[in-house]
Amino acid sequence: MKLEVVSRSGQTIATLDVNPEAPVSELKRKFYGLKRKYYPSRQRFTLPLKPGEKRGTVLDDSKSLSHYGLGDGGKVEFKDLGPQIGYSTVFFWEYFGPLVVYPLFFFFPKYLYPHLEAPKQHHLVQKLAVAYWSFHYAKRILETFTVHKFGHATMPIFNLFKNCAYYWGYAAYVSYFVNHPKFTPPNEKASVACLGLALLMQLGNLRSHLILSNLRKPGEKDYKIPRGFLFNNVTCANYTFEIWGWLLYSAAVQSIPAYLFAITGALQMTQWAIAKHKRLVKTFDGKDGRPKYPRRWIVFPPFL
Amino acid sequence: MRISQAYLALYNALQACGWALVLANLLYGILRKDLPEQLYAAAGPITNVVQGASLLETVHAAIGLVPSSPLMSLMQWMGRSNVLFLILGPISQLHSSWWSVLMLATWALAEVIRYPQYALSSLGSCPAWLTWLRYTMFIPLYPAGVVAEMGLMVAALPDLAERKPYSLELPNPYNWAFSYHRFIQVVLALYPFLWWQLYSSLLRARSKKLAPQPPKASKSQ
Repeated sequence: MKLEVVSRSGQTIATLDVNPEAPVSELKRKFYGLKRKYYPSRQRFTLPLKPGEKRGTVLDDSKSLSHYGLGDGGKVEFKDLGPQIGYSTVFFWEYFGPLVVYPLFFFFPKYLYPHLEAPKQHHLVQKLAVAYWSFHYAKRILETFTVHKFGHATMPIFNLFKNCAYYWGYAAYVSYFVNHPKFTPPNEKASVACLGLALLMQLGNLRSHLILSNLRKPGEKDYKIPRGFLFNNVTCANYTFEIWGWLLYSAAVQSIPAYLFAITGALQMTQWAIAKHKRLVKTFDGKDGRPKYPRRWIVFPPFL
Repeated sequence: MRISQAYLALYNALQACGWALVLANLLYGILRKDLPEQLYAAAGPITNVVQGASLLETVHAAIGLVPSSPLMSLMQWMGRSNVLFLILGPISQLHSSWWSVLMLATWALAEVIRYPQYALSSLGSCPAWLTWLRYTMFIPLYPAGVVAEMGLMVAALPDLAERKPYSLELPNPYNWAFSYHRFIQVVLALYPFLWWQLYSSLLRARSKKLAPQPPKASKSQ
């Protein structure tokens, strides 16, 4: 059947001959054959807007064209998502920065705090903090390659620079003050306790990631209700542990930049958690044999 | 009329009056050939009130009363408030600077068009010429305004370096240091980019708002 590919402004870009039962990925492959600039991961196809819609239905790679009711002479809207980069590539680079940048201030105070006399030894808190921070980011990199199963394969390349600026920038900002020669150590026992608890939060976060990773069998693309561990009570339990981890780190080092980092991260995770929770509630509405999504906290009991 | 509509119309009308007062004081003073510090003495206090009150616009956005982004609204408010309350206000030498007059004048000229346009739009009866003014006068006024704001900040730097207001030095129990002087230097570096984002989004809005409206609107704006 013939499909007309139009731009967002309505101009016809191409007409493609495709099998109605072929998956959307086949359409993308054919389009790529015509327009070599737009490799498949850069292509986004949507059905024309129906009345009352703000965004057209996005065509999923794995579904067939007939699934979307597309017949001969049908129209699909094309959007260029821009140059793409793999999720795991971005994750690696954004986490690699903090892993390298933070310890620099700990190990090279002579260069990073010139004109300041570095004390002969770091405080215990500072030593534990650099260990905790490094462990955290090493864990993140390991999870990127062995645990996480990404819902999308790619993201716009601009995100690489934006995310790296965020992570690397904050790593330098926090590390500069925590490892500063004029650092005022808080109560040692309290700090050690906080970091110990923070480590437990990290383990909770790891367990949550493993649960999420096992939700879908290879090839499955549908949403699942997370269950077990803290997920029974909180939709985004993984974020809960992450937020607590950073709050406890901040309490351990008693540094405003650390709290700023924790709060910024918490705000972003909360935004993501609200979206995910809404999606799950909408998908699992209890109708047509679908289970009803249970009543749960979104991300941070007892607040949200 | 719903109560939210009435409230917004009232809020925008009051702001319009406030800024009209600022502009009137400035114009009157300029015609009398007043010095900048006299102009600031006349227009400054009212400006402080209207600018302070405009924090409400962030609240309006946060509760969904208006479709704007609360974050954008807050950032714009903080930008102006920083210059007005933390820099111009406390540093008396700046009161005799023509930068301050330029800044207050460009702000007032823009707001005296913007708020009435909002007020009448919320009542559904904004004349086309006012919408045109709102989406056209910003073209010269915003660059003039940003230059004035930056001029004031640059003029303030020596005083900030010496007095070190709003700053924190190490060591302290918060394990944080903050140099307001350095902060303003960073703000000055970022200002052109932040301002361009705002300006270009207004230019885009302009082409949408001033384009011939289609007789049958399929999407609401």
